[in-house]
Amino acid sequence: MSASLEKGVRVLKEVIDAPIASYFSSCVHCGLCAEACLFYTETGDPKYTPIHKLEPMRRLYEQEYTVLGRLKKLIGLSKAVTDAELAEWQELVYNSCTLCGRCSAVCPVGNDIVYMVRKFREGMSASGNAPEGIKGAANRTITIGSPMGVKLPAVKAQMRHVQEDYGLPIPMDVEGSEYLVMLSSMEIMNFPEYLGAIAKIMHQAGKTWTLCSTAFEATNAGMQIGNSDLARVIVSRIVEGAERLKVKTVISPECGHAYTALRWEGANLVGRPFSFHVKHIIEVLGEFQEQGLLKTDGFETDRLTFHDPCQLARRGGVIKQQRSLMNMVTKNFVEMPDAGFMNWCCGGGGGASAIEEGEELRMEAFKKKKSQFDAVKPDRVVTACANCRIVMEEGIEHYKMNLPVVGLTEMIADHIPNPVAAKPEGN
Amino acid sequence: MNEMQFLTWVRGTGLNLAISIFLLGVFVRLFEIYSLGRKKDLSEPRNVAGASGMNTVFRRSLPADGMLKNSPITYIGGYIFHIGLAIIVFLFVPHIKLFQGLTGLSWPGLPSQLVDFATILTIVAMLVILFDRITKPVKRYLSTFQDWFTWALTFLPVLTGWLAVRHLLLPYTTMLAVHILMVELLLVFLPFTKLFHAFTVFGSRWYNGAVNGHKGVAV
Amino acid sequence: MATTNDKEFKSRLETLSISQQRQVAALFVQRVFAFSNDVRIKAALDMAMRADISDAELAVVSQAANTARVESYAQCGRDSDWNTQAGLFVAKAAVSCVRPDVDGQNLAWDAAMQVRVARTCEAASGDVTDHKEAEAQYAILDDFLSK
Repeated sequence: MSASLEKGVRVLKEVIDAPIASYFSSCVHCGLCAEACLFYTETGDPKYTPIHKLEPMRRLYEQEYTVLGRLKKLIGLSKAVTDAELAEWQELVYNSCTLCGRCSAVCPVGNDIVYMVRKFREGMSASGNAPEGIKGAANRTITIGSPMGVKLPAVKAQMRHVQEDYGLPIPMDVEGSEYLVMLSSMEIMNFPEYLGAIAKIMHQAGKTWTLCSTAFEATNAGMQIGNSDLARVIVSRIVEGAERLKVKTVISPECGHAYTALRWEGANLVGRPFSFHVKHIIEVLGEFQEQGLLKTDGFETDRLTFHDPCQLARRGGVIKQQRSLMNMVTKNFVEMPDAGFMNWCCGGGGGASAIEEGEELRMEAFKKKKSQFDAVKPDRVVTACANCRIVMEEGIEHYKMNLPVVGLTEMIADHIPNPVAAKPEGN
Repeated sequence: MNEMQFLTWVRGTGLNLAISIFLLGVFVRLFEIYSLGRKKDLSEPRNVAGASGMNTVFRRSLPADGMLKNSPITYIGGYIFHIGLAIIVFLFVPHIKLFQGLTGLSWPGLPSQLVDFATILTIVAMLVILFDRITKPVKRYLSTFQDWFTWALTFLPVLTGWLAVRHLLLPYTTMLAVHILMVELLLVFLPFTKLFHAFTVFGSRWYNGAVNGHKGVAV
Repeated sequence: MATTNDKEFKSRLETLSISQQRQVAALFVQRVFAFSNDVRIKAALDMAMRADISDAELAVVSQAANTARVESYAQCGRDSDWNTQAGLFVAKAAVSCVRPDVDGQNLAWDAAMQVRVARTCEAASGDVTDHKEAEAQYAILDDFLSK
């Protein structure tokens, strides 16, 4: 066994716990998980069946943790996991899985398949079988602070731009603020309007908030690649910043996996409960709305629908808030079939969109999302994840549809009157 | 050995062996699975009524939104043969008498015509399920020797039992003995095959429900 | 009277006809075109500069500019470069210039804003510390209005 494979196998053995053992023991090969997975439904290729994506791990489980399996191994009747096999499985575990979780929602014996894929990625990454695209992102996050190479001066430039446009100062490293706002590289680069939107909303709600110069990045490529060590480094930075600035709540931006990494995996990665809350920006907006702190003006009148990011809704439990917020600023909001908890994935999360070789597959899988759009024929689609936005725009472009995609936080901010106290230049 | 000796063996030694292996197997498997334990979740929970492990143990018996229309055979066939098996095993008076002999417990059974009807439905459902496994690409792709073997292990007791009650195919004594032997094979292999889901389904659903319930998502 | 702030800038842009808005917007975008150099963007800008455009022609360049815009998004997790990223906002600005349905929208203002973000990208790349794009845009508008 090569050094990497040995490491990978060791890691895989370590991550197998009672739930995983129970899941493997319960699978009856009914195939329902495939029917819930867009990579299978849109390609018809049974190799994309979710439970099949775990086959090497299942064999390892059998060989290492069951009496019968160990006996079989002893007498040479079992097939060992090989480097070649793990390399072959890379496509299944990364390109064709966005950790969307629909499979876990339908398995009749209760298997949490997405949980298993997440753990399997630990072994894949330790054995050197993670895709190049995500490896680069993970390394950049560790060395530079952002998966896309976004550095502090760039953030400061965006801050200046917002200050000029809105006349609202963007606080940085302000101790004692109620909220620490995290950003994602995707937003900083592609949707800089997000920062201005946050500033406007916080100003109107009268809340104190701050950015952190040592921890502005929420995207966790370590989690996507399945490397807990890397994921831990990224989360630790945020924990250090939040504790140093003594904030009450850390706000995760409009990025699905960043939320999952910080909100649900974070404390487990650093080994202790957080001394602060973690909320997705949509949760915070929902709270502000409930508390009557959001005073919006006017309505969007075109036909709008909402795409629930998987990590926010099904995997994160934030499902109602986006709907209340939509109803606050729109007059014609229609739901797609399967919207909410069972929404279909955009096809690009979990690091998938960073994998160039997977693009063709993603475009095929997008047919499912397209069918949801076709069912309601909206004028625009609203969502709350920067990656979903781009993945959907690419899919929409590929299928020659005419359908703009917008972000919910920005849409809310657009309906908040610009601050009166602004200097004339800030309009 | 003649048919009486065969019947005596399966009722005596055979049954003892099968039940012993079954109980030992169940115990060993449950232990080797659940003793692995799991790490405590240190993230802040979001408590929502209706979202918990226990809720999912029951709720997961129903199809998820949109799935029944998508895979009716898997669900309906599955319901029929699972419920059918339960009726046959637990509500057929001769079986209840057997349990009474082994444990002292007894309960009222169903009229035998009803059990007969349930048995026929179960047999048909299982044949449909088998056909589905052969013809559907995903099921065929996933299926290994174990899937066909466990199907036979489950089907043969039902078929042979029905044949025995109806006095068909073989002389009653032999048919009954064969039926009991089939049941014993089922018992012996159950803990070591996917049939063990009969026990682990509760744990699996519970874990899934608990992990998601921690996030406030009712699965 | 010279334009000195965004409030005046925005309301003056609003008084322009759609055709005039497209033309002045194209002038704004031309200042940052070097960040993109995409032929589809150039075609859009050239089209916007013309006083007479048919709906059909507009639809074609609009579609092409939109494709250029979607293609220029920085992909999640991929290494990126701020100068290249500026190209995304150049594309967004160009899309504004040739947007077909414009009821009630101030497309020149939208284009101007996207151009400023493109400049911010240049600043983010560390090549430039600050920019005076707004002032440059006021000057362009004043010059256009005086003609």
